[in-house]
Amino acid sequence: MIYFIKDHRLSPSAAFRLVLALTPVILGLCVFMGPSGIGLPDPWSQREILILRITRVLTGFIIGGALSCAGVVFQAVLRNPLAEPYILGVSSGAGLGASLAILTGLAAAGAFILPLSAFIMAVLTLLIVHLLSNRGGGPSLYGLILSGVIVSSICSSILMFMISAASLEGMHSVLWWMLGDLEVTSYALLMISGVIVLAGTAGVWLMSRELNALTLGHTMAHHLGIRVKAALVAALLLATLVAATAVSVAGLIGFVGLIVPHIMRNLVGADHRRLVPAATVGGGAFLAICDAIARTIMPVEIPVGVVTALIGGPFFLYLLKRRRTPGWIE
Amino acid sequence: MSDMTPAIELKQVTARYHTKPVLQDVSLAIEAGDMVGVLGPNGAGKSTLFAVLSGLLPPASGSAQLFGTDLHRIPPRERARLIAVVPQDLDIPVPYTVEEVVMMGRTASLGRFSSPTAADHQSVERALVYTDVADIRRSPLNELSGGERQRAIVAMALAQEPRIILMDEATSHLDINHRLEIMQLVERLNRDNGVTVLMISHDLQIAAEFSRRLIVLDHGRLVADGPPAEVLTEDTLRRVYHCDVQVHQDPHSGGLSILAAPRLPAPNMGKGIHIHVVGGGGCGEPFLRRLVLCGYTVTCGVLNRGDLDAEVAEALGIEAVLEQPFSAIGPEAIRKSHEMALTARAVVLSPVPFGTGNLANLELLEAARNAGRPVFMAQGIEERDYTPGRSAVARVRALASCGAEYYRDSTDLLARLPSVGQA
Repeated sequence: MIYFIKDHRLSPSAAFRLVLALTPVILGLCVFMGPSGIGLPDPWSQREILILRITRVLTGFIIGGALSCAGVVFQAVLRNPLAEPYILGVSSGAGLGASLAILTGLAAAGAFILPLSAFIMAVLTLLIVHLLSNRGGGPSLYGLILSGVIVSSICSSILMFMISAASLEGMHSVLWWMLGDLEVTSYALLMISGVIVLAGTAGVWLMSRELNALTLGHTMAHHLGIRVKAALVAALLLATLVAATAVSVAGLIGFVGLIVPHIMRNLVGADHRRLVPAATVGGGAFLAICDAIARTIMPVEIPVGVVTALIGGPFFLYLLKRRRTPGWIE
Repeated sequence: MSDMTPAIELKQVTARYHTKPVLQDVSLAIEAGDMVGVLGPNGAGKSTLFAVLSGLLPPASGSAQLFGTDLHRIPPRERARLIAVVPQDLDIPVPYTVEEVVMMGRTASLGRFSSPTAADHQSVERALVYTDVADIRRSPLNELSGGERQRAIVAMALAQEPRIILMDEATSHLDINHRLEIMQLVERLNRDNGVTVLMISHDLQIAAEFSRRLIVLDHGRLVADGPPAEVLTEDTLRRVYHCDVQVHQDPHSGGLSILAAPRLPAPNMGKGIHIHVVGGGGCGEPFLRRLVLCGYTVTCGVLNRGDLDAEVAEALGIEAVLEQPFSAIGPEAIRKSHEMALTARAVVLSPVPFGTGNLANLELLEAARNAGRPVFMAQGIEERDYTPGRSAVARVRALASCGAEYYRDSTDLLARLPSVGQA
């Protein structure tokens, strides 16, 4: 079959293959960048530095992929372009949980404690948001988003309170963690979060069918044969798990969950069977690049969250401006 | 499964949102392969009927069956293969292409761990061709015109390969050309594939033309059911839609043509004519509004300050005699309203309930009648008389016996009132 090609944009399937192919290349290039200079560290004499850089890139990839994948889910389920892990209070809830674990010293008991407490608090936040927005039949979209924003700021306030009341030492470690950096403190934590994120994103990918249908609206999804309530709960739990894990490792890093799904939707189309893997690896690559820049560009390392916002913000605005096609935002 | 099993069978279905009943005691059987139009005014329960049939809203009582199986026992994916819904419009916030959306019609048959099969692709292909959207398959849905988008949504329903299609005002956003196109498409599906079609439509003409059977809902109840020529009578339509229509049957083709409200009052039929309305409690609202729209000079009273009708009168710029809130009508107010009523060409009594407090308003009618003015009174005073000894009933009957007329509703009233043409 021959299709008439209107413009010379990459076809979605070609773009999808390109994203998958480019990601390892980008990750490889990121290993070349670091505070000790640009170039590959000598595997023998600078073995330590090389290992440090590789784990750092790997961490960025895992965290970025998790945030971006969670963003895809929230945007599909809430049918809202501004949805991301922050919007439903999931990130702040996870942040609160992780801080509690750090301040009480529980986090030292085992590598899994940090992601676990982050996940529990994130789910609790999600539950509260859901209950607040539930009026009669089911939660309204606007209700969800509104109560999410409010619960999120309440969580942040509690976090601030805890920090100001904490000892100097506790305050230091929480603040350091909150700023968002990809410094690996424990390989066990990295391993555990890597496994959780891999499982979570794979679960999300397997729900592509449901995510596609839910984007058409909950009523239409019902007509298409989806168990809407079950699908919503499963998708939100998976996204929360993945996002909470990312937050527990790297603190609050914004923008990845918002812009990467948008960019990928432009490139590979909105079908979740392609969008979920593309956004996951794309988000991972994006965060790895941002972190490489954060480590290299200044004599002192700058927080990676600053770079994601500084690169992501203008790029996002450019996309909005350039796009003639009506999509999420018209 | 025998051929006698109806595609859809409802037995005494009552359904409600929260506590408000929207379908009451509806029993209905629809044969497989039928093409049925669902009519009724806004809020009659048509969409609720579809919500019950598609399993969105479980009935509060009664049973709903598809092909002999209770709806709530059919698993969602199974149900999606039986019944598809074409909505009025689909707001899709992401740039899905036509092909992607049509593939979503296959959601129920797609495997979680596998790509779409050859059968899925074939079904999508057929739906694309059938609805004539194959050449725009790569276009994002939200860039298409309304007609193209609706065709793509119909294609998604077709890709489900359902045995029943519910069209929920599926063509009401479209122009007449695309409306007919979609209807012909659905008619072909019904004829060639034996798909059972139910369609909600506000376009009586299209419903009459494409349906073999029409059912009419009003206030959540089934009020008419039968072939279009039997259901679409002027009487039924007036009763349900509260407006006058003319139905003509073409003697050659047998087709029906429906002209909505040909006898609607002219906008200036009441120009310069003064009518006094006795209202209260909000029941005078439709009368006041329609009289003002027809150009009558309207006065109103006696009303209590803060009464709904008093607010309506103020909003419409109607002069009204007002009494203190929650108090009986006093002599001063009666005197003023007498003046108004006696200068009016006619006096109208709206369906206002009577108690001792506003009984004095009846004096206006009596005075006007004695002065030889035409007086028009709403039917059914018997249900609105709360005075001890039911004196309002007696006085209204006395008025009727000396020449005051009863009217049925605001349309009936407008036909009876003096108008510019008559004068």
